[in-house]
Amino acid sequence: MTTPDNLSRRLFLQRAAVGTLLATGGSTLLSACASGGSDDGNTGGGGAEQTTENPFGVKAADPLDVVIFKGGYGDDYAKAHEELYKKKFPETTIKHAGITDITPQLQPRFNGGNPPDVIDNSGASLLPMSTLASSGQLADLTALFDAPSIDDPNKKVRDTVEPITLEAAMLEGKPLVLDYVLTVYALWYNKPLFAKNGWEPAKTWTEFLALCEEIKKAGIAPLAHQGKHPYYIGQVLMDMAVKHGGHEVIKAIDSLEPNAWKHESIKAAAEAILELKGKGYMMQGTEGLDHIQSQTAWNQGKAAFIPSGSWLENEQKPVAPKDFETTATFTPLLDGSKLPVDCTEISAGENFIVPEKAKNKAGGLEYLRIMLSKEAAGKFTELTGSPTVVKGAAEGLKLSPGASSANALLESGGENNWTTYFATWYSTMDKPIRSVYGELAAARITADEFCARAQKLADDTAKDPATKKQTRS
Amino acid sequence: MTVPVQIDVEDTSAKPAPAVRPAGGKDRAFSPVNVFSHTVLIAWSVLVVVPFLWAVIASVKSTGEIFGDNPWALPKELLWDNYAKAWDKGVGDYLFNSLVVVAGGVFGTMLFGSMVAYVLARYEFPGNRFVYYLFAAGMMFPTFLAIVPLFFVVKGFGMVSTYQGLILVYIAYSLPFTVFFMHAFFRTLPTSIAEAALVDGASHAGTFFRVMLPMAKPGLISVGIFNVLGQFNQFVLPSFLSPERPVLSQGIATLLGSQRYENDWGTLFAALTIAMVPVIAVYLVFYRQVQAGLTGATLK
Amino acid sequence: MRHGSYRFVASFLAIPLALYAIFVISPFVQAFYYSLTDWTGISPDFKFVGFDNFRTLANDSVFRQALGHNLILLIGLPLATIFLALVFAYLLNVGGRANAAGVQGVRGNGFYKLAFFLPQVLSVPVIAVIWATVMTSTDSGLLNSVTKAIGLGTSEYLANPDIALYCVLWVLIWGSVGFYLVLFNAAMSGIPKDIFEAAIIDGATRLSTFFRITLPLLWDTIQTSWVYLAILALDAYALVAVMTAGPGGPDNSTTVMGLQIADNGFQYGRAGYASAMGVVLFFLTLIIAAVMLRATRRDRIEY
Repeated sequence: MTTPDNLSRRLFLQRAAVGTLLATGGSTLLSACASGGSDDGNTGGGGAEQTTENPFGVKAADPLDVVIFKGGYGDDYAKAHEELYKKKFPETTIKHAGITDITPQLQPRFNGGNPPDVIDNSGASLLPMSTLASSGQLADLTALFDAPSIDDPNKKVRDTVEPITLEAAMLEGKPLVLDYVLTVYALWYNKPLFAKNGWEPAKTWTEFLALCEEIKKAGIAPLAHQGKHPYYIGQVLMDMAVKHGGHEVIKAIDSLEPNAWKHESIKAAAEAILELKGKGYMMQGTEGLDHIQSQTAWNQGKAAFIPSGSWLENEQKPVAPKDFETTATFTPLLDGSKLPVDCTEISAGENFIVPEKAKNKAGGLEYLRIMLSKEAAGKFTELTGSPTVVKGAAEGLKLSPGASSANALLESGGENNWTTYFATWYSTMDKPIRSVYGELAAARITADEFCARAQKLADDTAKDPATKKQTRS
Repeated sequence: MTVPVQIDVEDTSAKPAPAVRPAGGKDRAFSPVNVFSHTVLIAWSVLVVVPFLWAVIASVKSTGEIFGDNPWALPKELLWDNYAKAWDKGVGDYLFNSLVVVAGGVFGTMLFGSMVAYVLARYEFPGNRFVYYLFAAGMMFPTFLAIVPLFFVVKGFGMVSTYQGLILVYIAYSLPFTVFFMHAFFRTLPTSIAEAALVDGASHAGTFFRVMLPMAKPGLISVGIFNVLGQFNQFVLPSFLSPERPVLSQGIATLLGSQRYENDWGTLFAALTIAMVPVIAVYLVFYRQVQAGLTGATLK
Repeated sequence: MRHGSYRFVASFLAIPLALYAIFVISPFVQAFYYSLTDWTGISPDFKFVGFDNFRTLANDSVFRQALGHNLILLIGLPLATIFLALVFAYLLNVGGRANAAGVQGVRGNGFYKLAFFLPQVLSVPVIAVIWATVMTSTDSGLLNSVTKAIGLGTSEYLANPDIALYCVLWVLIWGSVGFYLVLFNAAMSGIPKDIFEAAIIDGATRLSTFFRITLPLLWDTIQTSWVYLAILALDAYALVAVMTAGPGGPDNSTTVMGLQIADNGFQYGRAGYASAMGVVLFFLTLIIAAVMLRATRRDRIEY
């Protein structure tokens, strides 16, 4: 998984540690095979004539080996994609594997020089992307992004995807990964519950407070959050702050600029969180609940809103009552906000990669190109309820309430939507910042203290010579 | 890494507690002391047993019930399916891996551990003390300090995620505890029998395997059981050294982590129950030996 | 020593010592070496930085917090565990009814020992998951719903930074008492009856026999227990990692040295720095064990 909250879900640090250890072990092993594996006569497939229809020159009979991380999105969508591939190359045979533990099962194959042709490298035990990239294990996707789109051969693939895809694809200065799934972060509520009580999600802060008061009077907690993982409430805070001060706010934070966290917008949003806690609008005990406990309470109607990403509906499927309609909405606008209310933070996830040493590298690239067609992307959204990075692919689909509301928020936000990187870039800063979010949400510190503590962490990271600095576009 | 056992106490028998004649020895069935004792003891028993019972009951509940308004309520229907789901998620494989590794690990630990302990306890040689303290100190090493280099050592042998790799590491990390306590045990055994065997022309090794080991059986059993429990519950070492062949305690961690994808707490508790049952069974069968082992050797 | 015994000794020691040297000693020695480098744990390149890591460590406020928490556990865990275990062992031994045959152990002695010992046989992740659920912070949490019903009010347990560490401490105590109870119980049954009888003839009460006879005779066992519990208190990693927010939270209120090692070594890519923490932990363990053994050293009472 590539969403920043992923780390917060790792209740067992060991597993994170295993990932790193394997990264360590992997790096030597992987580079060893990168240097020694070139004499096996592996051509990476292809070799057929390169045409608009077949830009990578896939040989129709070459078999394709696909490994999919079988997590929250299942692997049915991949089977649908494979059918599309098979339709195009009927002579091929496709080997499909849907697995959960990517690293344990694939590391030996990388080491043995026979990696699959396409991998969805995700989940808790994904192969470390940076190691794969730096050891030359990943195929350059420039050719893919420059290839003609399946839907419109006059357009390049890069023009048919959300711009965030190209930004997220870059590793070691080259596009090496296709982050396929678009995650929309939002506040979520149960539509029938709101309809029954005549409530409407609020647009302004004043309206939001009034709504909370009403909800509270009805005996429901206005807001629950996943207190054991304060990342989630931090998402609400940052969302309101960015809308208040514009994209510069988050860009300054990602760039570790001095005083970025002391921006008036951050402070205003922090005050807002404190107000929610102070007025008793947060569910009792929510500070001690993990994601499952809090989201289950929310499903049971004990709280009206909960922050999360667009995976929420799927995640809660086994728990949500039948008449529950998971619905995404925006965070309210603080007074004096620069951005409109109907935009939000988004991120691209699920790392699809084609190994450089794949037997059928051309087939792998073609498979990704097929995935980026509207038909394939629509299938994905239909089957998983999550939007993809393919523009307009969800048009005309019958979507679940969660997916369609998330999609609506994505579309209404458009250019105003943004992405955050600091949490994934700077792990030394991420965990302590989350801890500070938690203190704020429990009203154990003031807004000023929040800004000061967060800034201190950012300054420490900026000063740390051991931390490799990243820049965002 | 393992639980400590104290063996140098002088009396091992599971005899009744010391009978002390009270000053005014009257026969009262319900003395205040008695009532007080039972109240305190029952209270602690409840504190210990109820969480486990709750976890077992939760294993047939739905997630909604587990986190519902009344977590003490009994399940509306028994979701045995949770066990099937837990098993499907690999709990069966994890259990098998655990059993293989623990079988090999405990056998090796007991064999090598008692060999070292015996030599150290019964033979004078230069460096005896040094070797003894080298092992004894191992009980205090924080495993975390070693884990990263250890990974590379194991990888150097090509034994990451192999049974033999985990078994050898388990043996190495169980040796300090085993040597320490078997050493104490061998010192309590009488020397005359071994000497007689040697005089009769038995070899040193023959004396050890045919005479001393059988005599050390009580100690072997109790230290062995602690090694079984300790190695079965080992979590940190396999997490790093055997990612591809998870043992059961790791499997629990994986299940906990995968909640993100399928929010199913009932399955988690089913897996917890599967993880608890074998050790509790071993414990129930052997608890007399476990507890008697704490008392140590009778032979002075 | 008889001729040939050196060869025998060598043959018995060779394999175990080799295993021990390869898998235990050498990684520890390497860790000492890494503590003097800036190794990330990910890249194979690193350079020697002398004692830089230790200098940084001296100013690391989070590590100091972690150290403080370990010290709280170090005091609380042995005290509470040994106290409770002694009380229970005493009650098991003499809490029973008195009759002509003397004071007996309580009825159900076996059951209590069986039950109390149970936590000892389960792995830490299992215990941690169960207790984290028991101490759920909402009013409908397992423990809260009970305390509320009997009028004791509710608590947010692990979500409250003022008490979260003590919740962890409680689970440690809860998990350890049974083991030491059985240990002390065994040691108590090892004390010859006639000592008690002599004391009682001298007019001692039950309680005073406990303080004047049982306790001094158990001193050796208590001392060993203290060292083991201290080592346990210096670790506490797995419990904190599974049970607490963050983990180590809220706001570092439960972080321990083991967690700092794991965070730095495996999440932040500072394996060299984490090794330095490990070295500190190692010496701390050594010092505490030495001090405990020395401070509590008494002449062994022979009987």
